[in-house]
Amino acid sequence: MKAEELQQIKEKVEEGYLPQWVVTDPEIYKLEQERIFGTTWLFLGHESELNEPGSYITRMMADDPILLMKNKTGEIKAFLNSCTHRGTRLCTVDFGKKKTHTCPYHGWSYNLDGELIGIVAGNKVYGEKMDKSEWGLRPVPRVESYQGMIFGNLDHNAVSLEEYLGEMKWYFDIMLGRSDGGMEVRGLPQRWVAKANWKMTSENFAADPYHVQTTHRSAVEMKLTPTDPLYASFGHQVVLSNGHGINVITSATGKSANKYQGMPESMWPMFEKNLNNEQLGIFSRVTTFVGGVFPNLSFLSSCSGSEGTKHNHLQFRVWRPIGPDKVEIWVWYMIDKALPEDYKEKSYKGFLATFGAAGTFEQDDTENWARIIEASQGRMSRDRKLNYNNVANYLMGLDNLEPDENFPGPGTAYPSCYTDHIARSMHKYWLELIMEETRG
Amino acid sequence: METHLHYEISQFLYKEAYLLDHRQYLDWLELLTEDIKYVMPLRVTVDNKTKSNFISEMSYFTDTKEDITMKVERLYTKSAWVDNPAPRQRHFISNVMIEPTIIADEYKVRSYFLFKRSRASEINTEELFGEREDIIRRENGEWKIAQRTVYPDQAVLTVMNISMFL
Ligand code: FES
Ligand SMILES: [Fe+2]
Repeated sequence: MKAEELQQIKEKVEEGYLPQWVVTDPEIYKLEQERIFGTTWLFLGHESELNEPGSYITRMMADDPILLMKNKTGEIKAFLNSCTHRGTRLCTVDFGKKKTHTCPYHGWSYNLDGELIGIVAGNKVYGEKMDKSEWGLRPVPRVESYQGMIFGNLDHNAVSLEEYLGEMKWYFDIMLGRSDGGMEVRGLPQRWVAKANWKMTSENFAADPYHVQTTHRSAVEMKLTPTDPLYASFGHQVVLSNGHGINVITSATGKSANKYQGMPESMWPMFEKNLNNEQLGIFSRVTTFVGGVFPNLSFLSSCSGSEGTKHNHLQFRVWRPIGPDKVEIWVWYMIDKALPEDYKEKSYKGFLATFGAAGTFEQDDTENWARIIEASQGRMSRDRKLNYNNVANYLMGLDNLEPDENFPGPGTAYPSCYTDHIARSMHKYWLELIMEETRG
Repeated sequence: METHLHYEISQFLYKEAYLLDHRQYLDWLELLTEDIKYVMPLRVTVDNKTKSNFISEMSYFTDTKEDITMKVERLYTKSAWVDNPAPRQRHFISNVMIEPTIIADEYKVRSYFLFKRSRASEINTEELFGEREDIIRRENGEWKIAQRTVYPDQAVLTVMNISMFL
């Protein structure tokens, strides 16, 4: 990619535009693979998915298959899921439990710490000189977790996960650390493939409550959501460091009809013990938290069900890029371990009805993500010598929305969720990363 | 009698597929009993060949008649964009196998399905395939579906969404 092209993107981004062609451009995609997915913290899974020593799960970091294992001392380790002999994918299943992983090609085997412990006909073919300790599985350079959320990073020199999450930690504490025992993932993530670009899907969750009233209009027609076109705008859009962001959506009154997102009163003392006053204040008023951790982790904590009997659920999702125009969607459903079983069941049902591959909200989102791809790949959406200058508009709230100094949480909080502040901050960070030469 | 039963139930499943493919969802709803359980668990990949590779903790849906009716009604709204313009869809149903149950007039019916869908001018078609396990019941002389479990063959589905009924 030519420096001058990147410079042109930069000028647009600074004015609140994004050239449409960057959505799906193959060269941009290559840069993203190297400079974004190769350097940022990517979500791998939740600690509740790995219960006992020997438990393992397989995940993806963009195109790299990853094997996560819990070792004998209870530590979680992550490796490139590839045999060090000829590179064969070592484990092809989604989850399980075992003490050693043996490669089907020539039978090399590895323990829970990724060490090579067995070579078929070892000394007879390799002689005495081969040092097994040099042939362990290749570890993911950095693996760290926060509130049970495990992330990996391919860049040895990356800042710590906690530093990377920065101000997001405070909000993660509300969603993940509010109850004793924390959260648990139910089953495994749903997985399916959509025609979409990872930037647009990430933006959809992190930065775009404005789409709710139109994309999900069928819910209004069905009388499931309010008719007021501003209903998803009330509250604050909070811009956080490193391209992260969260929308703290309330209501016209600034409150929620369902305190603590409709969680039973028996849980409240627990929240009051685990959270500080500012966090409690936000949590008691919020109807929906929706946001994202750059680059491709999104979350939504919402309430489903009928008025008066709303049930909260938390979902995390990864948009794994598998091309400029395709994502593999992974959706984890999470719930407070401490909740009563019947609440959990109702919450789960509410989740399935609204989100996930069969969820009615989700279905209409997928349609719009595909339509962005369909209209972004042609000549007219490129800004070459043709000077069509086709740009997508991110100007909302550009000059008429001042941050709310009284907002109690960290970050820069704008007093409406119908604004493009997070989207612009994502684009700025995205550009900063793709303009950066690869680090050594 | 056996052959006749097989014919009747297969014809019933083909008719059902016809109604779905022709978007006659309200008529299709009539084929479901009031107490229907309609579920689609997640197919996962596990090491053990003999153990089930479905998990019941997580599904794509676990619907009652009320849930299905809501979904149908939604498809008739003006703004269910996923269905507007309507994609073309085809359910291919085959390998129908019927077994009696301990309840008279209720049969366990297995069938294979291949679902294909064409969306707008998209040249790639979507597909989903697998097996269904139904409980089919005769109620007042009419065949009805009392239970359906949809077992997809893919652990990662290659459809953009599950807005269709399977
Ligand atoms: S490739 Fe794994 S043992 Fe040879
Ligand atoms: Fe949406």
